[in-house]
Amino acid sequence: MAYPTLAPTTRNFDAGQYPFKTFSSLSGKEVRILYGSKRTGMTLDLAYDNITDATADDFVAHYDETKGGFTAFDLPAAAKTGWTGATSAIDAASGNQWRYAEPPRITSVRPGISSVTVKLVGVL
Amino acid sequence: MAKVYTGRDGRLLIDGVEQIKVTNWQLTGSLEMLETTTLGDAQRSYTPGVQEFNGSATLLYFNDGTGRNDAATALKKVLRVAGVNSTDTVDLRLRLVEGTVNHDVRLTAYVTSVSFGASVGEISSAQISFQATGALSEVTI
Repeated sequence: MAYPTLAPTTRNFDAGQYPFKTFSSLSGKEVRILYGSKRTGMTLDLAYDNITDATADDFVAHYDETKGGFTAFDLPAAAKTGWTGATSAIDAASGNQWRYAEPPRITSVRPGISSVTVKLVGVL
Repeated sequence: MAKVYTGRDGRLLIDGVEQIKVTNWQLTGSLEMLETTTLGDAQRSYTPGVQEFNGSATLLYFNDGTGRNDAATALKKVLRVAGVNSTDTVDLRLRLVEGTVNHDVRLTAYVTSVSFGASVGEISSAQISFQATGALSEVTI
């Protein structure tokens, strides 16, 4: 099963970082070495509030399918609903895919209704 | 026939017993709404959450001469030496009477607060507040 096609209630995106290392001398001189040309490590926190339990369990099914954080995957466009900038700006950078950084968390709100939070990390 | 209901039509029954000297009762029902608005929506949307029912009543602190004092009975739901436990619920019927027809809201509730006092020039009365637990058991309004 693919990642659920659902518009999130809230979305937090962190753009990640380019792989470089900084070397500082006693004089204050700093040397930086770039180890790669692709940005990675972006994080995406998605919350889906007050959805049906039947929809909430789709996240667990997808988590099982990807063997937890083992397999990377692409997100559907619905995850970027409401964003009017370039869609690539809040997605995994070129060459990256998403994987689960943590298991999906399901909070039961009332019978039949739950809220789900998902934390993803972009990996090459 | 058209009818306007007034306090003359009001009754309050606690555990099946019509209370004497009730001066008012009030019931409030509310429904918690769970927001289902998502990113991209221009209007907020909701789904029903849980319901809540609570209210209050005022009874004159009145002894009918046979030892019956409904206000005192109600007060003792909270004013007691022993603590209140989970079985200390009351069966409330808030009623409006229309001839032989009763318009009832029936619920199981805990009496959550009581107050009474004495003032010069005033009749002593007891105010009780109640909080329903579970669903309404009857609605015939």
